[in-house]
Amino acid sequence: MSASLAPECNQVKEQYDNCFLKWYSEKFLRGTATSDECESLFKQYEQCLSKALKARGIDSMLREAREDNRENDAEHMRPKP
Amino acid sequence: MKIFQQSSEFDYSWEEVSTSNWRKYGPWNEKTPHVIAVDTISRTIDPHTGILRTERLITCKQSAPKWVLSILGGQDTSLVYETSYVDPAHKKVTMCAMNITWSDVLSVRETCVYQPSSSAPDAKTNFVQRAEITALCGGWQKIKNSIEQFTVERFQQNAAKGKEGFEMVLEMSRKVFAEQREMLRLQQESKILQEARI
Repeated sequence: MSASLAPECNQVKEQYDNCFLKWYSEKFLRGTATSDECESLFKQYEQCLSKALKARGIDSMLREAREDNRENDAEHMRPKP
Repeated sequence: MKIFQQSSEFDYSWEEVSTSNWRKYGPWNEKTPHVIAVDTISRTIDPHTGILRTERLITCKQSAPKWVLSILGGQDTSLVYETSYVDPAHKKVTMCAMNITWSDVLSVRETCVYQPSSSAPDAKTNFVQRAEITALCGGWQKIKNSIEQFTVERFQQNAAKGKEGFEMVLEMSRKVFAEQREMLRLQQESKILQEARI
């Protein structure tokens, strides 16, 4: 797996990525996923990462990017016939 | 504005491609050393459509020449914001990416789609990539054109390396998966291995 932009988050990121990949290939793609089993690991990773994003001023850049991305969300989240 | 577009086919099933896609920039890919970090910033499943939406932040090492950096500003890393949508029912992965560094002077918007190939839907995956590159900085058209031209060429080089690297990841994933299955089979058949709990 790839590294995190914040080296202090690498360990929890790796745990989360491994959990996600297993869930994705074994459950999500097979249509048997009932919940997100990796949520607690994600929360730990998110907590670590959000500090780094804030300290580097990336959080405000992300807010702008999200705004710019609304069209993509509307197009690709739309239910298909 | 300049447009880069390509399509190709991978000799792997959509399930394999869509799974390996998450580890595209990991250690198995030796072709994209400019990607130094990939962070997941949010992940949700839409309860109505079952679509998995993921936001990622991709950190790249900058290697633009001096004349480009002098116009765009000299930072040593650049950031890309990517949203992806996986529709498991329709077997479709769509990935949208945009630059968030230098976004006031340059806009790079990319869309990639992975779908089962119509010729062999269970064994091959079709890949379509399209990017729109627009220089937004004020000033001479000539400078804008040069920046767009440089960016589209660099994009093209990175896209070729990205595909080569992804092929390496796909091959490695298949190998590791086969080894794991073999190990499991041996374990189930062998009493000694069962006891050793390998």
